[in-house]
Amino acid sequence: MTSIEADIVLPKARAAGRAWVRRPREPITIAPWIYLAPALVLLMVWTYIPLVEAFRLSFYQWNMLPTSVPKYIGLKNYERLIALPEMRNALWNTLYYTLGLFPMSVVIPLFVAIWTQDLTGRARKIYRALIFVPMIVAPVVAAILWRWLLNEDQGIVTRGLDWLGLERIGFLTDPRYALATLTWITGWKLIGFSTLLFSAANSGINSAYIEAARIDGATRWGIIRDIRLPLLSPTILLLSMMTILFGAQWSFAYINVLTDGGPLKSTTNIFYLLWQYGFETMSAGWSSAAGMIAFAGFAVLAACCMWLTKRLAVYDN
Amino acid sequence: MTTDIDAPTTNPGGMFLQPLLGRLAVHGVMILLSVLSIFPIYWMFVTSFRPANEIFSTALWPSAPTFENYIFVLTRVPMLQMLANTVIVAAMTAGLQVVTGMLAAYALVRWRMRLSGVVHGLIALSWLVPFQVTMIPNYVLASQLGLLDTLAGLIIPNASHAFAVLLLYHAMRSFPNEILEAARIDGAGSSKILWQIVVPNMGAPIASLSIIAFISAWNEYFWPLLLSRKPENSVVQIGLQMFMTQEGNLWGPLMAAACLASLPILIVYLVLQRHVIESFMKSGIR
Repeated sequence: MTSIEADIVLPKARAAGRAWVRRPREPITIAPWIYLAPALVLLMVWTYIPLVEAFRLSFYQWNMLPTSVPKYIGLKNYERLIALPEMRNALWNTLYYTLGLFPMSVVIPLFVAIWTQDLTGRARKIYRALIFVPMIVAPVVAAILWRWLLNEDQGIVTRGLDWLGLERIGFLTDPRYALATLTWITGWKLIGFSTLLFSAANSGINSAYIEAARIDGATRWGIIRDIRLPLLSPTILLLSMMTILFGAQWSFAYINVLTDGGPLKSTTNIFYLLWQYGFETMSAGWSSAAGMIAFAGFAVLAACCMWLTKRLAVYDN
Repeated sequence: MTTDIDAPTTNPGGMFLQPLLGRLAVHGVMILLSVLSIFPIYWMFVTSFRPANEIFSTALWPSAPTFENYIFVLTRVPMLQMLANTVIVAAMTAGLQVVTGMLAAYALVRWRMRLSGVVHGLIALSWLVPFQVTMIPNYVLASQLGLLDTLAGLIIPNASHAFAVLLLYHAMRSFPNEILEAARIDGAGSSKILWQIVVPNMGAPIASLSIIAFISAWNEYFWPLLLSRKPENSVVQIGLQMFMTQEGNLWGPLMAAACLASLPILIVYLVLQRHVIESFMKSGIR
């Protein structure tokens, strides 16, 4: 993994260290702007201007019909949203999705990668090819195939539970389990990929450190704790950051295809609420206001993650 | 951070000293993870070939494999048209992301401007704006431009992506400066340098970006869900969702539809397996 994500973390610092420097006497030119134009215009038109527009809409009441005129209502959208139990429920579920993903996107992959580091040759390549596959499977396909596996009557998992003599579980229909099921499906796509990232980072650790520590009498656990985990910290922090910032978004397709936020709103999250306010109840103002709350929340989280990454990551220089 | 995936591991002696049991445990963990990853997909394939009276069978292979589920899907949903649409959308999206990314990356690398840092930050931070937050203005804009229910509407908003610019920017920064200096002294203009010197040497990053952009565009669900109306103007993910809503409990045909929707990507993966994995690993999660 190169430092593409690190760009989000340190955009200015990265931009400053460029390789090709303009010669001092070159006149100021419009040429770079012509090259930048397509990307910048598209980002402005489809990301930044809509962001500002969504901010503006959050102070209006509007049903999205071209014939109706948005009505200015000040902060009322925000006031109502904050008072709404639905919103609180969605925020709790967002937290659940995010924390529930951690074992699958960070913890288990980290331990599997360290545990299996001695694998070499063909076996390693075969495992690698197999565990990567879920990453490229479309979310809609993943949703449908898990719906089949977990089907309450005839799914293979249900049959397995029968065979073990256990009670059947309504994975997608029981409010006690549905949220955990969707979190699992979201994590299923990530677990192999994260393992590969950790393995790559782990096998990149300079073996001289390990040898030196072993000569000094360090135990296997001591080596993991004092050498491997610190040197894996950039990958740990990166994957944690990705999970925190994007985890709730990744689950959108599963919620939409499988549960529509139910049963009893147990699987909805903040991003799904935005979609329902916007395109099911047609209240653009509510949706935008909820969007702004989510955006502000995630922006604060992003800033915290970046600050933590800068402070905690250990690089091998 | 390194990406050298096949590098020899750091414990050369350990393999022989480790007790056999330990090695078995290591394989056990990896086999478990592999089965977990691949079995759901295998089960999708197997179910899609099962005849209707065997659909609930737990046998690992159908006794009489059949294409009837596929035929059923193709007569109910315009799946082939949707597959063709998805190929167009994914290929155009990937192509345009390469072009816009290349131009922007070149500008950022070639010229040092007072605003470079700002532009770079603006591009990078656009990645953090969740699509669900901007979806209503985007939808309104798309409908004003007449893009609803068109393939162009699925392509244009994704024609540029922060990820594309950043990936190419990093690749381009390591391009040797001397060659460019020499070309400049020979009087080559900036566009000639870009297309005749830089681009031909950027094969690997362009291939990586194309693979990732194509797969992401193929798997994209949210924006088509907002934009598409008629099945024949839509992409395969939407077709799959529509089919599930109508025939959600016909498991055989549903699995056949899911297979059709994922087959092109899985074929790409089978052919370019190493490149696909490495492209994703080098660039992280998107």
